[in-house]
Amino acid sequence: MKAKLNLTVNGRAHELLVDTRAALVEVLRDELRFTGTHLGCGTGSCGACTVMVNGETMKSCCLLALDVDHAEVVTIEGLADGDRLHPVQQAFADHQGLQCGFCTPGMILSAVQLLAANPDPPEAEIRHAISGNYCRCTGYHFIVESIRAASAALRKQEQKA
Amino acid sequence: MITSEFEFFAPESLDEALALLGSGDEDVKVLSGGMSLVPMMRLGLVHPQKIVSLNRVQGMDLIEIRDDALFIGATARHARIATHGEIAARVPVLSMAASAIGDVQIRHRGTIGGSLAHADPAADYPTAMTALGARFHLRSADAQRTLTAESFFLDVMTTALAPEELLVGIEIPLPPAGSGYAHERLRRVEGAYPIVLATALIQPDRSSARLALGGVAGCPCLLELESTHLDGGDTALASIAQRAREAASGALADLNGSAEYRQAMAGVYARRAVSAALGRL
Repeated sequence: MKAKLNLTVNGRAHELLVDTRAALVEVLRDELRFTGTHLGCGTGSCGACTVMVNGETMKSCCLLALDVDHAEVVTIEGLADGDRLHPVQQAFADHQGLQCGFCTPGMILSAVQLLAANPDPPEAEIRHAISGNYCRCTGYHFIVESIRAASAALRKQEQKA
Repeated sequence: MITSEFEFFAPESLDEALALLGSGDEDVKVLSGGMSLVPMMRLGLVHPQKIVSLNRVQGMDLIEIRDDALFIGATARHARIATHGEIAARVPVLSMAASAIGDVQIRHRGTIGGSLAHADPAADYPTAMTALGARFHLRSADAQRTLTAESFFLDVMTTALAPEELLVGIEIPLPPAGSGYAHERLRRVEGAYPIVLATALIQPDRSSARLALGGVAGCPCLLELESTHLDGGDTALASIAQRAREAASGALADLNGSAEYRQAMAGVYARRAVSAALGRL
């Protein structure tokens, strides 16, 4: 069964015909080719599918696409400004915040969400904020370091502005 | 991916939603936050033929205090409940419970009504609502009724909701100012489902307390404690732990814990919740 879906993704409006069964992650990856959003557990635990919907991070494998009709979605592809990485992305690159990279897009979006709400979070709050994003490679230490570095970089940017 | 076909409805009013449920068709599932329903569909555990989403219904998520009670609309999201200033001031144990659910992403979408209607013994709200003496407002196309938490929760993932009914709101009598409160839960790691939960609410004068235990039976169980239990001394706490273990005899058993483990943990968490609540008096 198909139905019409309107989505704005990374600032661009799309009108699609999607299967009623499609989750947002499937529409993003398979229809719109935003393959930066990953499909891990597919049941709402691992967070690899994390995207922003109307400014809030959500697990896109647990959202029926039709249930977010007319939403504004931001995926990992929407963070960089052309060739310039977002400060959180840059921090992950500079501080070894990834190994295989599978959790990374979701992890970065969760970090962006955290730092928007709290620009200078202590470590416990950083760890709490990423508790919905599982990493099997790093042991989280360098992810926390990357987020701490990103927090400093963003605050420095704020001061200059 | 979801393999079974279904029709998707997104009504724009409560009346429209209730009309869609009105046929009493068992193959209709209500979609609120979807943080339990959609994973279950993806796992092939449920195959509804119709989905009625509440996400376009306005006004079902209001949070307000009136007549000495807190009223929360069923589609209010956990994140909003967790950070709501008036809830933090007047019913802080509810802020604690809501903040503990899942993780940031889950809390952005999951709803209190969805969680309560799903009635997973591992969930935070059912235990907290039992301690708080909450009342649930149910509506169908033609009727409405109000149930206590004890009448609402029947068994594992089983509530008194009829197929044509919606849980539309939750009414929580305001605890007296200065009440002791705590919501404690055992889980393997942060973000994992709780195994055992305990919510304690203590009267400001320590005359009595309500201690709800979750995860140890199909529904939360309520222990009413007297002043003799509430002096904070070791004997009192030990007797609370003993009562909790008795209440948890015949506890659930699954991969997360045997019945014996849950029973033992019921005692530990009952103690922790009451100690922590006494500390907040």
